[in-house]
Amino acid sequence: MAQGRKGKLNYRCPRCLMREIDMDMLFDNEKGEYYCLRCSFFGPEAEVLRVNAEFRDKYLDRATRITDF
Amino acid sequence: MTTFYLNVIHRPEMVPEYLQKDAEEGKAEDVTRSDVIRESLDIFRTQQRVAHDNDIRTTIQMTYASLFNEEAVAIAKEDHEKYGDEIGSTFLGLQCAQFREKFASKELAIWLFSMADKRRIVDEVFGKFEEVFGFLPTSTGSYYMDAELVNYIKDRYPHVKAAVATCWEEGPKAYHNANNSWYTLLDGGPWNPWIPSRRNIHCPASDADDDIGIVAIPHLSRDLMAVFDGPGSYYGTHPQNILRGMVYEGREIPYFMNIVDQYRAMAKYNRGYAYNMMFVGPGWMSKSGRWEADYDFLLKSYEDGMAYYGRLKKEGKVVDLTMSEFADAYRQDRAYSQPEVTLWKDILYGSKRQQFWFADPSMRFCLDMNQGGAMIDLRPYAAKLIRPCGVGTKHIQDASYPFLVQSLFRAGYFTHYAGEGAVKSCKFVHAGEVVDLCACRTQASFSEDGDTRVVTLDPVEIEFENFTIGVQSIFRLMEGTGEIEITRKIVSSTDPTAEVSIDEYITACYGTTEYPEDLTGVQLKLKGRSGKESIDYEYRCREAAVDGIDSVEAIVPQVDTRLSMRPDAGDVTGYFREGMAFSPMYTLGIKKTVQGTGELRTWLKVEKAS
Repeated sequence: MAQGRKGKLNYRCPRCLMREIDMDMLFDNEKGEYYCLRCSFFGPEAEVLRVNAEFRDKYLDRATRITDF
Repeated sequence: MTTFYLNVIHRPEMVPEYLQKDAEEGKAEDVTRSDVIRESLDIFRTQQRVAHDNDIRTTIQMTYASLFNEEAVAIAKEDHEKYGDEIGSTFLGLQCAQFREKFASKELAIWLFSMADKRRIVDEVFGKFEEVFGFLPTSTGSYYMDAELVNYIKDRYPHVKAAVATCWEEGPKAYHNANNSWYTLLDGGPWNPWIPSRRNIHCPASDADDDIGIVAIPHLSRDLMAVFDGPGSYYGTHPQNILRGMVYEGREIPYFMNIVDQYRAMAKYNRGYAYNMMFVGPGWMSKSGRWEADYDFLLKSYEDGMAYYGRLKKEGKVVDLTMSEFADAYRQDRAYSQPEVTLWKDILYGSKRQQFWFADPSMRFCLDMNQGGAMIDLRPYAAKLIRPCGVGTKHIQDASYPFLVQSLFRAGYFTHYAGEGAVKSCKFVHAGEVVDLCACRTQASFSEDGDTRVVTLDPVEIEFENFTIGVQSIFRLMEGTGEIEITRKIVSSTDPTAEVSIDEYITACYGTTEYPEDLTGVQLKLKGRSGKESIDYEYRCREAAVDGIDSVEAIVPQVDTRLSMRPDAGDVTGYFREGMAFSPMYTLGIKKTVQGTGELRTWLKVEKAS
């Protein structure tokens, strides 16, 4: 097995992010996938981005400009 | 007349925090490694440029390491001359070869050193600063500065008038967020600037004798709802924090402007005064990207944020001051007794939820309108606990100010199957049916009546099996009294003959984390016309009640606090309830039965016990 290395943009584990833990992942060059040392998540960049998008779903106002205070 | 003050702070960091670990391991020998310095200085220079392009002045907080770098010093001097930026000092960014030579330590947090080391470091940092600039700084800071540290600084360097002294609600939540490796355990302070007590930095000073001599500024202006229940490093006036929290769509971050505008709106709760601060360390704008964002996005977020401040300035809606200038402005017309208050609304999750925050020299508390105005956080500032931190002290890393109620750390209304959680609320009882206001979502409005701040909640409907009542809650906060007057009024009933018991209660504990503390030695007392009751806490589930109650109280020696409630009339019953080891809480309550409509008025007070 290849040594895990830091991937681009220090992607955090998206599953740990769901529980608000910032956990940088390592990247396996041989398999082309990221993996988490804490929660057993693994997957390619596309899977990381898919779960990250899910994480953002809770922010219903993330694209809303609010001016009424 | 309203004034929205802004402090923008930058620091030239020679070893950005993201390279701290490498530096510790000798991989990036900080000031001698040119590529690290170049990147870090480039980022600092960029931040300064972005601020000045938007006509915003800054406070440059020189790190100790940067004092050895001629280029960093030259930039600071030049920007001071050209733009009127203040040159201050920070205890962040201590680590460099010179520091390790002098102090033989890899410690990076000033508040975690022993008191002897803190004194030596202050003298070294300020001495070097004076050697480089020819004057001493009037502003300083770190992520946290305990009162003992600030007292020493004021004793030796009395001209210091401002300090970044805490990060609001960076405690166990921040620790967990950082995979249990970031030791900023600093919960419990005010969210906006304050004049601290010389006994504990978190507590606003009561008077001139208690005044520590600086104006304290929290690191960043944070989302008071999201950060109370989430990582501090996701939701605040720090564009890259927002990227870390992923609160964006595409590459747009309206959330930043929403936070700024909600802080601007605090003027209506605070007699025309409002405040914002932005303080981004260079490490957050790394050229190699950070938090799933590339450098272009990191830069854009900073430029957009500063551009918004610049636009507000052009429109005359913000006054940009340096830290020391702000300290002078803040002290000009600020009475020690004046509370900081705000009715915060959700700007993140799309709900209509509101939370009311209050801080004065007696207490800090939060009311949650999603839970019928329940008090979900209560810190007894009146106790002014002397609680130094750092090596050689009892608490070392735990610099938080203790709570009596923290509903997220200690359950609140909802518990799993058994026991009680920490919360202050009110129950309505009829023939065995019990409804807690925690189950009644509502909205609130704010008003002032002379020196009394008033939070008025919209009435809620409580449905019993055979009838319905309307209930309104009103909180009146009389400046300088340390008391909260709480009125629970049954404003309507579909059965005017039905009797309802109104049971105002507080279930409390003490602590700084999620984990229970030993309540042994807490005293619970009742005093009334029909008698007295008193017990020492032993986890035995004992209860007592006294009719014609005058006061119910808990003495919590562990946090030197007396927590009490009193009613407005004698025809009420007071009670206490001891908990058990599976429910380590104590409950104080006052209850009264009314027929049809009626009200119960009580006062809650926190005092220093000794």
